[in-house]
Amino acid sequence: MTSTATPVTTARPRLSWRVRLRRDRSLLLMTVPAVVLLLVFNYVPLFGLATAFQEYDPLVGVWNSEWVGFDQFTRLFADSLFWGALNNTLYLSFVQLVLFFPIPIALALLLNSVISQRIRNFVQSVVYLPHFFSWVLAITVFQQMLGGAGVLNQFLRGNDIGTWDIMTNPHTFALLVTSQAIWKEAGWGIIVFLAALAAINTDLYEAAAVDGAGRWRRLWHITLPGLRGVIMLMLVLRLGNALTVGFEQFLIQRDAVGHEAADVLDTFSFYYGIATGNYSYGAAAGLFKSVISLLLIWGANKLAHAFGEDGLYRR
Amino acid sequence: MTDTLTIDRTGTKPRRTGPDVHTRHSARPRWEEPPTVAGQAAKGLTLGGFLLLILLPLWIVVVTSLSTQGAVNRAGGLVIWPDGLTFEAYREMLEDPTVRMALLVSLGITLVGTALSMAVSILCAYGLSRSRSVGHRFLLGLLIVTMFVNGGLIPTFLVVTGLGGYDQWWALILPSAVSVFNILVLRAFYTQTSADLIDAARVDGAGDWRILWSVVLPTSRAVTAVTALFYAVGYWNSFFNVMLYMPTDSEKWPLQYVLYTYVNRGNGMPGSLNAGFGTAHAQTAPLALQMAVVVLTLVPLLIVYPFVQKHFRTGVLTGAVKG
Amino acid sequence: MGTELNRRSFLSASLVGVAAMSPLLAACGSGPAQKTGANTESGLQAALPAYAPSSPVTPDIPSVPGGPDIMTDPGFLTYPANPVATVPGVPGRGGSYSAVTPLWGTVPPAGNAFYQAMNKALGVELTMKPADGNNYNTIIPTMTAAKKLPDWIQLPSWWNSNFNVGGLAGTQLADLTPYLAGDKIKKYPNLAAIPTGAWRAGAWGDKLYGIPSFSSSIALAGVVFFRRDIFDAKGITADQVRSADDLMNLGKELTDAKAGVWAFDDVWTYLYPAWGLPNKWAVDNGKLVHKYELPQFLDALDWHNKLAANGYLHPDGMAGDKSNANTRFYAGKTLITGDGTGAWNLADYQSGTAATASFRRGAFNVISADGKATPQLFLGPSTSELSYLNGNLKPEQIEELLAVANYLAAPYGSAEYTMVNFGVEGLHYTRQNGVPTATDAGKKEVQAQTFPFLASPRAVISNPGGDVVTKDYAAWQAANAKSLYKPVFWNMNISMPQSVATADAAQPVEDAIKDCYHGKKKVADVQSAIATWKSSGGDKLTQWMTDNVLSKYGTGQ
Repeated sequence: MTSTATPVTTARPRLSWRVRLRRDRSLLLMTVPAVVLLLVFNYVPLFGLATAFQEYDPLVGVWNSEWVGFDQFTRLFADSLFWGALNNTLYLSFVQLVLFFPIPIALALLLNSVISQRIRNFVQSVVYLPHFFSWVLAITVFQQMLGGAGVLNQFLRGNDIGTWDIMTNPHTFALLVTSQAIWKEAGWGIIVFLAALAAINTDLYEAAAVDGAGRWRRLWHITLPGLRGVIMLMLVLRLGNALTVGFEQFLIQRDAVGHEAADVLDTFSFYYGIATGNYSYGAAAGLFKSVISLLLIWGANKLAHAFGEDGLYRR
Repeated sequence: MTDTLTIDRTGTKPRRTGPDVHTRHSARPRWEEPPTVAGQAAKGLTLGGFLLLILLPLWIVVVTSLSTQGAVNRAGGLVIWPDGLTFEAYREMLEDPTVRMALLVSLGITLVGTALSMAVSILCAYGLSRSRSVGHRFLLGLLIVTMFVNGGLIPTFLVVTGLGGYDQWWALILPSAVSVFNILVLRAFYTQTSADLIDAARVDGAGDWRILWSVVLPTSRAVTAVTALFYAVGYWNSFFNVMLYMPTDSEKWPLQYVLYTYVNRGNGMPGSLNAGFGTAHAQTAPLALQMAVVVLTLVPLLIVYPFVQKHFRTGVLTGAVKG
Repeated sequence: MGTELNRRSFLSASLVGVAAMSPLLAACGSGPAQKTGANTESGLQAALPAYAPSSPVTPDIPSVPGGPDIMTDPGFLTYPANPVATVPGVPGRGGSYSAVTPLWGTVPPAGNAFYQAMNKALGVELTMKPADGNNYNTIIPTMTAAKKLPDWIQLPSWWNSNFNVGGLAGTQLADLTPYLAGDKIKKYPNLAAIPTGAWRAGAWGDKLYGIPSFSSSIALAGVVFFRRDIFDAKGITADQVRSADDLMNLGKELTDAKAGVWAFDDVWTYLYPAWGLPNKWAVDNGKLVHKYELPQFLDALDWHNKLAANGYLHPDGMAGDKSNANTRFYAGKTLITGDGTGAWNLADYQSGTAATASFRRGAFNVISADGKATPQLFLGPSTSELSYLNGNLKPEQIEELLAVANYLAAPYGSAEYTMVNFGVEGLHYTRQNGVPTATDAGKKEVQAQTFPFLASPRAVISNPGGDVVTKDYAAWQAANAKSLYKPVFWNMNISMPQSVATADAAQPVEDAIKDCYHGKKKVADVQSAIATWKSSGGDKLTQWMTDNVLSKYGTGQ
């Protein structure tokens, strides 16, 4: 299989709109159910975005709430806590991109290279389980292992070695949450790459081996190109989601490291918006996030195209 | 099932079909060089370390779920070494008639929801996977926007209840039936389906419906299995929609929501800041019960996963049909 | 854009004016103008029901009075062998209703034997629909936004602003004043036995809306508990602790990190009143002052900051883990902790003794930080749980449900109380040593409380099978009743415009405070957070409260 599929038809590029419509009518028809569902349950509720320009009161509803123009945004952009949260979000996103993103890919490759089917099956059935732990539980486990009164620190204390403060140290918080995320989600993340690996034509490996290509060359010339489409998709989505780094994980650990280290955009909208009845303020922060995310995904897609990749869709 | 058969059934004429003789399932293919000792050791250590990091907490969870209240209280939290074991927590939950009813509801929602979501997503992903088809970029954009922009909780709620979804099971399925992420994943695989195969089918006069059914689906079983797993897990674990759309109809609740009420018994009750509630007081859920819920959540996954995993080996199929 | 901004500034200017108008006028606007919801003293007096106490059973530990309106809860060690009926006949007339209550626990099966027995006793078809208490603050606003309230609903008052109960009152909730004001409540004698303070908590804009549950004349925000069994073994008694210094010394004495024992868990919420601090507002020479602005507030913070810095606070507590605080306390990993007075109950006693057979919970008496001033602790609202009737109900339906509420509010030891709290004898409970004890069916169907959230009598202390808990708690109440006082705006309902409410929530200050008592920030950091808060809304809040509440409705004390 190669990633450069040729166009569906060999027709000349400029067909009339009418002809193309007739040609593709089945394809369009196929998208109708999904598009209708999205229109009803995702697009119609977008009228709620109006609340970002109001002093919204849930009781009187969107139509009767007071319109305040860009006041919420003016307030937002003057709020140092907001900029702190944005800063944290971008920093965490960068750390996660560098430390977390490659791990599921590497694990999938490692697993794929294990020859014993029994070991592969066992490892595959275990690594994804932490995904189903709630964040509350995951963090309780971390706290009990690495916390100030945890197994590790009680051991250190018992031997007078001093203590290692990782669970409540704001300076190393980015590393802490990233390692928690890796522990919880990396195993789940490999599944889609395993599927992509399964789609690679094994004949290619054999042919390459016959031609004298070693395992590293085969990895480079067959496996990685085979994964490229999925990796690019994940990468573009990750970049588009740069302002989303998690919510519950930060909510739970906010008291431990303090809000200055733990506040990200989503927890900011929650604490300074919804939780204090400030719906419109939260909505403004949310809308800001949406707009930036759309710009990011558009940019990431353009970037992918610039590198000759497909990104989310073919250029 | 042999690969040749599969392709023949499709009625298309791949240029070369042939029996697949590789035995990748159980042993090293003959063309692969023997592993080095250092490579084996590095692999073993990495995987072993990763497994340990995952199995240890799992062990703690299982042990705690089997512990007596006394053992949990002596440990002052999760139990690492068994110290008084009991099946009480499991017995309490499995004997509850609400739990048994909820299990059926969950199964129903997961099956119906996954089937619906898969049908809608596969169609949509294929419909958007042929590059240069009319409007596909616009539609893709339409889909992608919903990943980043949403109108908020209350507007969505008003739309669903406006359509009569309050206390209806469909409200737990339809609003979350389409995952754009899953569609994009499916689409990424479909765009890579060999053009040769599709062209051959087209030459044979197959339309898009037939190509999807007979060429694309059979050659992408791994991704179908994975997205089905994603959807099923989503439906099985979801309780936020339950909370919104049927918060008070306990006989209609799915399992996760019922279990959730077990876990959160007496938890974070703001009223405990104030006077206690009369004579009886909400008792915090015993930790053993909470952990038993976690274990019960994992069980269906352990049952289903091998079936998904099976499809990770279908790579051979693609190989056989494409030369 | 320009016109938009102008329009905005016009609106904000008029907002203050509208909000300052009489509640009646503001109620007409459906726009952003909100009523303050507060009650005038004279208007409220006309709406409040007349109080007529009753006690069919003599308590083993009688109530003792504290200050005005303060009275300890009666304690019971026995249960009457033949409960007397307080409601003649069947209260209902066969109407069909639905009721939603929060439940922190496992939901009883729908249509179970207890529900059926209750419906028979009540003479109505009342469908109980308990909803998850942990998400109640998400469930209810969506319900009210879609105008899907049931006939009868419990709206706990700590969520008053989330639910905007002040706005719901009169639009979606029924005005009960015509049925209960003054002597009219005599028709419902068990409701009349609920202390007046609790009814105040359900009044909005001089009208009566809420029916109180779990009311008490000695409701407290919480107290500082200690492991009495361990203290006893070490020869430490509670009355040796008379000041904050004494507590700090205990921290040093009791903490043994190597052994995994820390003296303290989080106590800030429960201990800061010892510095003479109010829950939120104080009136000084007729001027309203927020607690943040009181100098002793910084002293209290400084002490708690030192407690953490000295290493006397359990690391998990410092990491903000509250959910396992009880387990730490039972395991003896922490010896001093803060909690609501509701922690002093039978289930707690059973959990504690399961870990250590000798487990006994004790609470420090109210202290003053310097050990010299008179110890003082502010009283909490007389009830935090109020149920409301749907505004669409017809008058005869309201009367029927009030008759049902009267049944539910029957006092301790009555036949109705036995039914509501223990169910059917033989099926849901049996008598052991004369005390009703739940069977398995009773545990599943009755103990997950639903009906008491619609109406219940004033609180009593009763822990069948754990008399030591009843005696300890009653003794603590009796010893401390004199130290309690009614805080400013006690039992008053105030709903504020959003900008004021944001300053009232003061999230940034609360965040800084938490970081400070967890030892991560200095007192000076909180000081600067307070300064920012003052200039960005705090001063306006004080002004708003002075203009719209204090000068109009008084302090409520």
